[in-house]
This record gives sequence, structure tokens and C-alpha cells, in this order.
Amino acid sequence: MIFRPKIVAFMCHWSLPPEIDVSTPSLIRGYPKIRIVKTMCAGRIDPAIVMETFLKGADGVLVVGCHSPDCHYVDGNTQAERKVKMLKRLIRLTGFDPERLRLEWANASEIENLARIINHFRNQVASLGASPLTSGESNSDVVINIKAAKAVAENFTLRLLVGREKEMTENANVYGDKVSQEEFDRLLEETLEAEFIRHKIHQLITEKPMSVKEIAAETHMEPSQTLCHIVNMRRKNMITLDHVKGTTPLYKALEAH
Amino acid sequence: MSNKKVGAVLVVGGGVAGIQASLDLADSGFRVYLLDQSPSIGGVMAQLDKTFPTNDCSMCILSPKLVATGRHPNITIVTNAEITGLDGEAGDFKVKIKKRSRYVIEEKCNGCGICAQKCPVEAVDRFNEGLSNRNAVFVEYPQAVPLKYMIDREKCIGCGTCYEVCKAGAIKYDQKDSETTLNVGSIILAPGFEPFDARLKSEYGYGRFKNVVTSIEFERILSASGPYGGLVLRPSDGEIPKKIAFIQCVGSRDYQLGNTYCSAACCMYGMKEAVIAKEHTPSPLDATIFYMDMRAYGKEFDAYYERAQGEWGIRFVRSRVAGVTEDPRTGNLVIHYVENETPKTEEFDMIVLSIGMHPPKNIEKLASTLGVQLNKYKFCQTNTFAPTETSKPGIFVCGAFSAPKDIPESVAQASGAAAKAMEVIASERGTLVTAKEYPPERDVSKEEPRIGVFVCHCGINIGGVVNVPEVVEYAKKLPHVVYAEANVYTCSQDTQKLIKEKIQQNNLNRVIVASCTPRTHEPLFRETVQESGLNPYLFEMTNIRDQCSWVHMHEPKEATEKAKDLVRSIVAKAALLKPLKKPRINVTPVGLVIGGGVSGMTAALELARQGFEVHLVEREKELGGHLRSIHYLLEGNENPQERLKALINAVNENSKIHVYTETQVTEVSGFVGNFKSKLHQNNGEEKEIEHGVVIVATGAVEYKPTEYLYGKDPRVMTQHELEEKIANGQFKAKNIVMIQCVGARNDERPNCARVCCGQAIKNALKIKEKDPDAEVYVLYKDMRAYGFKEDHYREAATKGVLFVNYSDERKPQVVNDNGTLKVTFYEPIIGKEIEIEPDALVLSAATIPNPDNKRLAEMLKVPLTKDGFFLEAHMKLRPVDFATDGVFLCGMAHSPKYIDESIAQACAAAARATTILAKDTLEMEGIIANVSEDLCSGCRICEPICPYGAIEMKDKNGKLVAHVIEALCKGCGACGTACPTKAITMGHFTNEEILAQVRAALVEVKA
Amino acid sequence: MTERIGFEPKIIGFLCNWCSYAGADLAGVSRIQYPPNIRIIRVMCSGRIDPAFVLEAFKNGADGVLVAGCHLPSDCHYLSGNFKAARRIALLRKVLADFGIEPERLRLEWVSASEGDRFAAIVRDIVEEIRKLGPNPFKNKDGETQ
Repeated sequence: MIFRPKIVAFMCHWSLPPEIDVSTPSLIRGYPKIRIVKTMCAGRIDPAIVMETFLKGADGVLVVGCHSPDCHYVDGNTQAERKVKMLKRLIRLTGFDPERLRLEWANASEIENLARIINHFRNQVASLGASPLTSGESNSDVVINIKAAKAVAENFTLRLLVGREKEMTENANVYGDKVSQEEFDRLLEETLEAEFIRHKIHQLITEKPMSVKEIAAETHMEPSQTLCHIVNMRRKNMITLDHVKGTTPLYKALEAH
Repeated sequence: MSNKKVGAVLVVGGGVAGIQASLDLADSGFRVYLLDQSPSIGGVMAQLDKTFPTNDCSMCILSPKLVATGRHPNITIVTNAEITGLDGEAGDFKVKIKKRSRYVIEEKCNGCGICAQKCPVEAVDRFNEGLSNRNAVFVEYPQAVPLKYMIDREKCIGCGTCYEVCKAGAIKYDQKDSETTLNVGSIILAPGFEPFDARLKSEYGYGRFKNVVTSIEFERILSASGPYGGLVLRPSDGEIPKKIAFIQCVGSRDYQLGNTYCSAACCMYGMKEAVIAKEHTPSPLDATIFYMDMRAYGKEFDAYYERAQGEWGIRFVRSRVAGVTEDPRTGNLVIHYVENETPKTEEFDMIVLSIGMHPPKNIEKLASTLGVQLNKYKFCQTNTFAPTETSKPGIFVCGAFSAPKDIPESVAQASGAAAKAMEVIASERGTLVTAKEYPPERDVSKEEPRIGVFVCHCGINIGGVVNVPEVVEYAKKLPHVVYAEANVYTCSQDTQKLIKEKIQQNNLNRVIVASCTPRTHEPLFRETVQESGLNPYLFEMTNIRDQCSWVHMHEPKEATEKAKDLVRSIVAKAALLKPLKKPRINVTPVGLVIGGGVSGMTAALELARQGFEVHLVEREKELGGHLRSIHYLLEGNENPQERLKALINAVNENSKIHVYTETQVTEVSGFVGNFKSKLHQNNGEEKEIEHGVVIVATGAVEYKPTEYLYGKDPRVMTQHELEEKIANGQFKAKNIVMIQCVGARNDERPNCARVCCGQAIKNALKIKEKDPDAEVYVLYKDMRAYGFKEDHYREAATKGVLFVNYSDERKPQVVNDNGTLKVTFYEPIIGKEIEIEPDALVLSAATIPNPDNKRLAEMLKVPLTKDGFFLEAHMKLRPVDFATDGVFLCGMAHSPKYIDESIAQACAAAARATTILAKDTLEMEGIIANVSEDLCSGCRICEPICPYGAIEMKDKNGKLVAHVIEALCKGCGACGTACPTKAITMGHFTNEEILAQVRAALVEVKA
Repeated sequence: MTERIGFEPKIIGFLCNWCSYAGADLAGVSRIQYPPNIRIIRVMCSGRIDPAFVLEAFKNGADGVLVAGCHLPSDCHYLSGNFKAARRIALLRKVLADFGIEPERLRLEWVSASEGDRFAAIVRDIVEEIRKLGPNPFKNKDGETQ
């Protein structure tokens, strides 16, 4: 059987050729499994929605916006760019292939170009095979990771950082200093890693309480580092001490805020 | 030279010592600037979990002092500040201060914390010793004073989120560092200490091995509000240890590192941490302490040591630990040590390093700016007879900066430094303090209750969860409520104005604020209602933030219902509120000092120099007490007898001091501010005096040994007798044995007598000085040469004094064998019994309580310890106060101590007494007990219930009734609860009020 | 948000001003969540808590009462109020049985100013326990209102 990847494309209204009827699933003959979701602007793409799309079984997600100076909303496309950049970093942490997410620029008048983009992406995803999230195992590592990643994408801190990136790296921060891209990226990376691992821990101990050592084994981390995360997650009321078994404290997740 | 004097004091350092000094000064009529380099006050004590020897919760006892400092009208807290320059001289200093920017406007920040909740950047939390993170905008700890957030500029990326979320408009990114000059009359230095950097002791593996932590980290680990929630966990894997070791003297008594002094507090805190660790651990925990000498020299400390060994089962190993290695697979640690000359190893799950105290960071810069001399360790240079004075007149010192010390010593010294600082500017008392004027009080007794309710949104802290408008509408419908409104921040300055307007417009006679905690905010609102002419007790408060919106964040509906219940409940109470008078009592500005030793004389002189008349009563023929038998010092070259003469002259020449020798106090009656006492002189004369305070300085006596042939053989003598002989040039012995702990640390007297180790070292050194060939053996249990005394201990050892440890199981034996004095003892290092034939045997006899204490204690109605010393109000934070107001203690009446410690305490007692004597009248708390004499059956049940002796029985027309001494009542209400006829009611917490509150909390009421 | 169904106990908490009330405040400052069933009444000292207050609470339909003070032996701001509370509450629990109220409905706990976590845990525990015990029997016998 030929593998036909399920691809969801988020396309901005202004880059979408008028010929295309988004209500029909078939954009280009022979590839029926491409779904198009229209948004007014690529900047509208919510990282959490992208993650949800993967969780729902998409093999690839394509985001299409307008070429650089053409954004109908001034800089929606660059915002989309930052979000996708962040998402790819986040996905990298999950063990899921970041190549399953792609951002492209298109123009409403260039349907061939769009077809080429889609074709190219479809081939790329096809070569990656079916998404590990479609295997049906609801508790596999990758499912937990993507769920955690989705929680990260919904997280206030990250959304805030990405939202402020442009102002801070291109103009100035509140002190009137320009933050270099490297410095910002370093902070973003650190925050992503910390938030991802914390949300992963949260996922892991939602069902049953676990000890620091058990969590460390699941997350391939040093137990000492795991404990640091546990401490900070308690501080943020993400988790609580469930009970102590012998000399081992077990922690459980608190309901997400 | 100018004669200008300024009635203000600068206190440098906001730890417990600085706080105590500030409170004493401010309560005595001086303006205080309390400067700290960090964003809040509290110092190291705020980080501690529990405190020895009572195992009190540190924050519980510190926090009321923090709050009192924060809201004192005469104290200005200057945070994030350092001194950059000094001009002028004692009485009139100009101090240049640099204040680092907080990037937050202190006047606007109300500490709601929403900025930190939303801040995207995490930074290492130094308050938790790096064991957890905080945000880039932060307060050091939840109870911090001032509770003002600060931006960590190094960590902040400048995203602007805090600015967006701060509804109070307190964030100011362009706030600049500022400079200011303070004009003060004197300065107190209380910069504390810097904990030793355990990395420097590399053989113990700190920084390399995860499960090796410092004692301060361990305090945070033990703290219920610390990183691990109070559970002891191994940092390597989060497991609860089964076996934990404490290594003492890390960075102290260390000749390699040059920190040769003893840090004085570590033995006790090490023991305490071991005890608390066991308490906090659900599974059995094995705790071992590796030590060199257990220096439990303070009051009741040895009793704690006993309990640690017995009741709590802590194991003590006398050994200097050579090194620590780690098993990398388990994270377990192996301690390598030598015991009885045998190298040993033992494995542990976790190790705590009891790190010592080092001088504060950058202290040399501060010292040179101020022109203050440091000692060789860079602690502040002081002298035995001037323990709070620096080398520069007008600048004083207290706390760990003068020498490593524990909290009670620091607190006592702080009060002592306050006394000295006041002395410089005594003439300026009251010139710079703010006296607040209030409008005349409105009589509301004939009015129906008209209640106004102000419900706070607290930005979004309350409003984000609780439906505030709904609560306001609900409140409007409650009985007696005539006005209700919501505020963004009810505590803000403009809302205070608004509340006053609403009181006038609506003729309100009761005011309620539903917001945060009354513990911090009630005084502010009480002041507001008082400013509008209402009695401050017509105000009530209910907590819908800390105890509602913040703890039910995901249940807005239920939280709103709860807020309504709480408002309904407090409205029911408020309707019954009655105005309360704060009783005022007159103060007789005269002191009575009982005891004319160095402590009593110092206290009397201090009071006189503050401008008060003093009666100084001494039982003996001459002033001087214990000091008369001291001829030379262990530390420093001052001549004690010359100093004593000077002190006696100063006392006799001071016209404000009335000295009564050969006199006893036979009766004391009355209460704070208004005592009457009878003095009985040996010649039969009686005299009655009136005074406002009492200072007990009755000293202690030397134990007359019954052991070791004392009194039976002329070659056996006590340390004091030896000192006398040496001083008179009569001591010629060549072969001397000293035995420590005679009459102390035994079943009868379990506590240490503190000064005998120092005495033995002092006398041994003196013997060696006069005759280097003399052989001196000191048989000891622990050499308690704490602080800088350690240097003299080492000096004695270097000069050939032989120190031999003995245990209770193998005490030295002394016999007179046909005229030959023989001392046999076990020498543990060679493992053999040794016999010596000394020509002098010196017993370090304990210092024991004055036998007169019992009589005095009964007369003054103050308690004694089991040993028979006087027992202060609180071992940690009120070392010279009694629970009974107006009565203080100092010197050896409190417990055995060295001269400098007695002097510091004597000054402290004087400072504490001055907080009373400096006031014409004392304003007492309005919330006190009242007795209905009609209902009182005279059953006397309440009398012993009161811990403050505030209830006395009075004859009222032939009927015995209870009477509350308003000046002594603290308002706990225990008497009212015990009263069988309900004759006693508690102001502001009457039975009717509380019952109404209970009922309304449960049952819906309609207007 | 959790949907609450069934019996919701009403708890009255008498907290001393110095330790327990401060501990409850710390739970708030640390945002430690607990069920919204408790209504707190502040008194200066646990030694002030008159048995009549507790009985009044039960009479008016409280399903449980918490009395909290400073830790024994020496945390009490008034030196010994906590000891007094300990004795009173122990006696009161005996009396409650005579009224037909299970003594478990009255709890005495020590909470220090740094034990926000502990305070929240106690409230959670009480609510659980009272949920198992069911409503105040007093309330059922005499109807909801007194």
C-alpha cells in the first residue's frame, strides 16, 4: 500500500489562490489527503493549534503566508516565522521530526508555485513515513512529549517571549537596549527546554504519582536535575507531594491552570 | 568644634541585631534610618527554620519584629543601600548613601506579586541558597519587609510584562540609582557576617558532591516554606536520607585556612539541625555529629545537648574529619576520620557542613570609609570594657560583626549598642520624631451601627477569582450596611482619602475592609478611620485574598460564595464593635537597679547618662561584685581593677545615681511605670522609693566544691583563689593540674558555667608567663574557648599547657596519699591511666545562681530557670526582658558570662528600660480584658491563668473581685475563656462578637 | 474548574493570630490550593477559644470545627495559651459525644507561621474526613435553622 501522508495546511487568506475551494479536500489531483485551513493571516497560527493538529494525527503541517513585504497585516508573516522557528525548536525536544512542520511563502496569483510547495512538502513528509502519533499508543513517549509540547505552546511565558521577540531584537527593550538575537535565542532555548521538561513531568505524573528517580529514568535526566524541576514545579503549584513511600517521596500533578 | 547634636541614628544592617537596635532607639524618642544592602530586612535569621534551644519557628518570632520595624513611624528603612562617605563627628555625622535602583516605585508597590507571577524569566533564588528559582522581578521571601518587589536588572530581559500587569503603576524602568546624605548623631554597625565559602574546604567535597550541603542550605531544606517543603531530601536524587552526618568547624578553628577563631554558634545550630531533621523525617534517621569540642556554653544549652544525646538519639563523634569521598554510583559519601588514633571510615547518605561566620563582604571598604578599626580577622575591634564601641567615637557595633555570636547575644548587644548610641545624643531625645495628631473622637454610642464595606480587587489578585462587584452588591443588603464599594487597591494612598470622605458623607460609624491579611494591613486602616474621627477599634477586616482568592484560584464561584460568607460574618461582628480606649499610664522616670556589680553599675550609669534618676542597691559593703576578684583578662591588656575603680568613681560622682550599699530590696509593688519599693539597710533604716522600671543585676556566686579534696587539702583551690594568689605573687607551684566542670554539667547542675574554660586558659597562660618551666595539665570535657578565645587556647597549647580530655565515665581521681597529692586520669590518646603528683590542684568551679534569686523572683513575680538563674521573656529575642513589663535583667543574674557580655547586657537592659522611661505616659494596647465586678464571683480561677500576672484580686465593698492591671494585660483572652461566670470579656473579641461572627459565617441573614 | 456535587461540609476555623493565621496567610502567598469549605475566624490566641464558640458553630450547622494554634511547647505568643487550648479542646471533644456530635468533627492542630503547606493539607484532610462522616447530625435532628 502506498503511504499517503495526511497533511494539514494553514493558509493565509491573502496567499490563497481564489481558484482553490477550501471546502474540498483535494487541492491537487492525486493527493486527496491535504486539508486546508484558512486563516486571515499566517500570524494567526497558534503554536498550540499546530501541536494539536499533530496530536490529532497529521503527518505534516504546512503553514503558508505572504512573501516578506506583502503581508496584508504589515508583519504577520514575520510573526509566523518566529512562531514556527520556536515550534521547530520545541518539536526537536520531543523526538518528533521537526521536518514535519514547514513554513512557506506564497502569493494568491501563483497557484503553480503553491502546488510545487505542497508537492515538495508532501514528498518530504512521505519520506518520513507515518507520524509516530498515529500508532494508536496513547501513552507512548512521543505522545507524552507532544502533549507536553502542546502544553508548552499554550504556556503564557513562551507566548509572551515570542510575542515580544520582534520589539526586543529589532527595536529595543524597556531599558532602551537592543537585545541581540543570540541572547534572545539562548533565553528562548533555555525556557523551552525547562518548560518542556516540566510539562513532560506533569504529563507523566498525571496518572500516577512518581518519585524523582522514576521521573529521571523516564526523562533521561540526572535525578539531581529532575529534583530541581520538581522544586520549581512545586513552587508554581504544578505538582504536589502525594505521599512518602519508605524514604521515597512521590509527586503527582495538580490540575493544569 | 561644633556643639550641634542630631537626634537621629543610622543603623547599618537590617538583620535581627539591626532591627532590635532600631526598635529600641525609635521607641526611645530618636529618629532611625535602618540601612540594608539587600532589598529587604531580616538578615540570616529570616532564612532559618527553627532556633535553639527552644526549637521555636524562626519566622514566627522574627516576623512580628519585621512588621513592627516596617510600620514604626520613627524608622525609615533604606534598602539596596550602601555608605559611600562620612563627614563630621559624634553627635553630628553626615553620611553619604548610595541607593541602588529597584526599578519599582516603593510608594506605589503594594506587594501583590502579580509581576512575579507573570515574569517570563527565572533566576537563581539566593534566599533559598540556590536550591530553587525565583523570577527576575522578586521579593526575597514572602514575609519580607518592606514588601516591595524589585527587578533583578542582571536577569531582566526588559520584555515589559511587569509594567503591563502592574495595576498600581509601580514599575519604573528608568529609575536611577540615587544618592543622599543623612544627618545623624550616632551610627550603629550591624552588618552581620558572611557565611564561610565551603568550596575553600575542598577536602569535604562541597560543590563537587551533590549530597554535601552547607548548614544554611540545610536550614532552607528544613523550612516548611523552603525548596523541599520541609522534607529532608538528598539533592542528588530527591530521596530521604537514612543516615546523615554533620561536620562541625568548617571554616572555623582551621589553622590551614587561617580562620583560627571559633564561630561560636555552630555547635548549637548543628545539634538543632540534627534534631529538627529527625523531626522532619517520616522514616528513622540516623544523625551523627563529628566535632572537636561541643561548645554548648550558653544558657540551657547543655540541657539541650543532653536531650540531643538521650531523647533524640543523636550520635556524637569527637574527631576532626580528614576528608570526604563520594561513591559516584549511589551518591553516598564516605567520611574519613581519626578516632582514638585509629583511622576510620563511615558511609552516609548526606552530609551537612556546619560553616562558620566570616566578616561581612567588602567590610574593609566600609571600615575605611568610616574610619573604624578592624581586628586581624577583619571583625570589628572592640575592648572588654567597651564591647559595643568601635575605635571611632559615635560609632557603635553589635551582632556578629563584633565577633561571631548567636542570636540572643546579638540581640542583647544590639540593645546595648542602642543605649550607647542614645547616650551621645541624649539631649536631643524627641526632637526628630513624628508625633501624630488625630481629630477629636466622635461619640457613636448613641448611634445605630452604620457600616461601610470596602472590598478590594487587589489588582487582579482578588478580582481575578472572586466576583468583587457581586460581593459589593451582596454586602449592601446586609444588616446595618449603609455603604459598600469596590477598590482596585483599598490600601493605596488615594483610597485612604476616599475612605475618609465616605465616612463623612455617609456618617459611617463602623468600617470594614475585605482584602488581604489584617496582620500587615490592619494598622494602616485603623489609622485611616482614626484620622476621620472614629475610634480605631470600630474597624474590622476580613481576608478574602490570602485565605480565599489565592487558595481557590480555580473555583471562582465557590470563592465568591466564601467571600460573601466572610463579609457577612465580619459585618455581624462589626455591628457589635465598641470603641476601646487605649489606657494611658504615667511613668515615673526613675530606675531601680538591684545589684552593684559591673552589670548593675553599668546599667545604672547608662540610665543616668540617658538623663534618668537611678537607685542602685547593693547588698554588700562595697560596689564591684564579682569583678573585684578579677585581676587580669584573657582577652586584651586592660587592667580590671583599674577599670573597676573608674567605674565606681563614675557611679559615685554621678549626681543622678543614688547608691545604697549594705541594703536589700524587701518589697516591690505596682507595675510598669509605677513601681513602689522598700529598701532595708543593714543599719535598720527603711526607705521607700518610687520608680518606673526595675533592672535585676544580682550576679552569681562561685560554687564551693565538695569534690576533689577541696577544703580538706590546702593545695586544692578554685580558679578564683588561684587568680588571687597569682595576683598577690603568692603562687609558686611548679606542677599544676586543673580540673574543669567542677559542679557544672552534672546531674545536679546540667548546664555549663561558660567562663571556667576561659579562666583556666587565662590562669594557665599567666602561670606559664611567670614560669615557663611550670607544668600545667588541664583536664577537660570540652574546651569551650568560643569566638576569639580560641586563639588563647591554642597559644596555651603551644606554650606547653597539656589539655587532656576526660569523660563522665572516667573522671579524674584525686587522693591524698600520706601527704602526697595524687591525681590519676585516663589519657585517651595514649590509652593509659596517668598519675601526677601536683603541688597545686585548681578546680574550675561552676558559677552558680545567687541564693537570693528565689526571694527576689517571688517578690518581682518573675520566673527562674530550673538551675535557679532568672528566666527572661524569650530566650532568643528578648534576652534582657522579663515577661512582666518594666522588669529587666542583665549580667550573671541571667546566666554565667564574661565581663564584656555582662556589660553589653547591662547596656541592653538600660536601653530596654529607656524605651519606657523616655515616655511621659505609656499607651497600652486597647484590646485588653475587662471584669464585670457584678458577675465576678471572686473564684480566683483567672489569676494563675494569666501568664503576665495582670490579674490581681481586690476587695470591693467586702467582696473579693478580679481586677485587670491594664498596663500588664496583653490581650490574649485566656482569662475570659476560663471565667466560669463570664465576668471577663475581651475588648474587640467579646463573646458576643465572636458568637455573632460564628453564627453569621454559617447562617444567611437578611436585612 | 472542578464541579462540586453532593455534600459540601461547612467548616469553621478558629485560628490564633500569631502562628496559625499567619500559616494560613502563607498558604495563600504560596498559592497552595485547598477546598473552599472553611470559614476562618481570627482570635488573638488559641487559649481564647471558648467551648461556647465551638458549640455555637455546631449549633448553627457547622459540619466541622478546626481550632489551630502555635506549636507546643514554646511557640505561643502568650507563653502558654496553646496548652490551655489543648486541655480545653480535649475536654470539649468528650462533651461533644454527649450532644450526639462525633468528636472527630472537632480538630485541634498546631500550625506555625511557616507552615502554609501544612495548613492547606490540614484543611484538605478535614474536608475529606467530614465528607465521610456526613452532615452535622445536630442539623438533621433540628432542621437546618435554629
